Amino acid sequence: MRAGRTNEDFRTMLARMERAGHLLRAKRSIRPEHITALCNKAPAAVMCEKVEGYDIPVVGGLYWTRARLASALGWKESELGGRFAAAVGRPIAPETVDSGACQEVVVTGDDVDLTALPIPLMHEKDGGPYISAGVAFANDPQLGPNAGCYRMMFRTSRELGIDLFTASDLRRYYQTKFDRGEPLPIAVTVGVHIFEHMAAAYKAPAGLNEMHIAGGLRGEPLEMVRAKTGDVLVPANAEIVLEGELLPNGWTADEGPFGEFAGMQGDLKHNPLFRVNAITHRRDPIFFALQMPWENDWLNGPATEAACMRVLGLAGIQVAAVRATEGGCCGWSVIAAIKKRAGEGKNAIAALLSLPVVKQVVVTDDDIDIYDSDEVEWAITFRCQADKDIVILSGMKGKHVDPSVRPWDLPPGQLPTTSKFGIDATIPEGIPAFRYERIVPAFDADVRAEDYLS
Amino acid sequence: MSETTDRALVADIERLLRKPVYFRDVLAAVGSHPYRAILRAWSDIRTRHSLSRDEFGRYWLEKQ
Repeated sequence: MRAGRTNEDFRTMLARMERAGHLLRAKRSIRPEHITALCNKAPAAVMCEKVEGYDIPVVGGLYWTRARLASALGWKESELGGRFAAAVGRPIAPETVDSGACQEVVVTGDDVDLTALPIPLMHEKDGGPYISAGVAFANDPQLGPNAGCYRMMFRTSRELGIDLFTASDLRRYYQTKFDRGEPLPIAVTVGVHIFEHMAAAYKAPAGLNEMHIAGGLRGEPLEMVRAKTGDVLVPANAEIVLEGELLPNGWTADEGPFGEFAGMQGDLKHNPLFRVNAITHRRDPIFFALQMPWENDWLNGPATEAACMRVLGLAGIQVAAVRATEGGCCGWSVIAAIKKRAGEGKNAIAALLSLPVVKQVVVTDDDIDIYDSDEVEWAITFRCQADKDIVILSGMKGKHVDPSVRPWDLPPGQLPTTSKFGIDATIPEGIPAFRYERIVPAFDADVRAEDYLS
Repeated sequence: MSETTDRALVADIERLLRKPVYFRDVLAAVGSHPYRAILRAWSDIRTRHSLSRDEFGRYWLEKQ
């Protein structure tokens, strides 16, 4: 590592989470197919130290809640959107180094065996064991390097199915190669720091290297190393790297179903194949099994909040806070607190609903603590008149993953449309603020509970 | 077939695949075997056969 840099890695992040009580250790041996159920029932992220039949520990549940995500990032929960936006605004280019911990062990050719990794079956109706924390790195002569998050289903000891169904930069890179009948070299990391994972999950415009955003999140250049078998750079301190190529078989190989980000079991799809030609890893690697849906959703939460702040700013609205909520998969449902001027409750709704994913919003005044659901409900109850303050917009861009748009009724290739709504829970124009004066206990500042209850 | 593949386990899974099953059903039926051995057997089956899938994602093996 270059002098003066921290380049905090995945395991240093885990140690910090453990000190904060957000990561527990499971000492008893566990079978891989039981890990997801354990992670779902645990009060914190879990490091499964002994995985039956493997000498590689598995960690999961790291970003399951807003609190765990903030702990992983080392940020305050209220800062997520703002700090993400700041990082996007000041990207820092990565630097290539000659060697990295991710290549302490190199396995190539016929020695490659994916069954050596504790790839778990995660959900009852999944099509097989899944690598859920894969970050794929690729290169395109015109568009440059790209990173993105893709699920991968175990098929054979050398092959994985990769979900390239929806539009993405990697799909674009693959399509170019596929049209020529050529494979696309890629490298997939399993176990990178949240800065890289979150940057890869961010839908940056083509041509913008997501690892520049990772540098912005870090506040220093990310150190990357060249893959052993292809012209692709990967984070030097990753835990595990799978190197290989997307075969030019097109969208023909069965893949899925898999428990999707929206919390529902997805469909069987047909997708390309990823042939693994090399596995490199640290001497004592940790396998990250990202748990659906919340870990996947929270990786996008800060980007959603940052996008909301941006569109509200463009609309000239002063934002106090924005919260992407878990129930809306950290993207589909948003609560925003604003310093309102007349009419801006509705303006804010219009601005927020213009974002492609956001489907429902609540807008409050800045005296409401939007991280407290009771406070938000109070504002909706007493500051909203349903016939005046609920805005419904129809015929907007929808998503196939939402069953309420009945995507199965659409002709192939047609995008669904959806209706969206917003609740203006700001104090209505013409009602003076004193009508909402809160009750305050007498001599509140003079009384400390611990003086009486200890 | 790899020398480390358990042939009896492969045959057991092939028998299970005579009717549509989820991968989870396969694991439940042969769960007394090490997980890695099951994955190796699955790899062997997928290499040698083209498995059919139904609309729910269940696998089965067409009669050869």
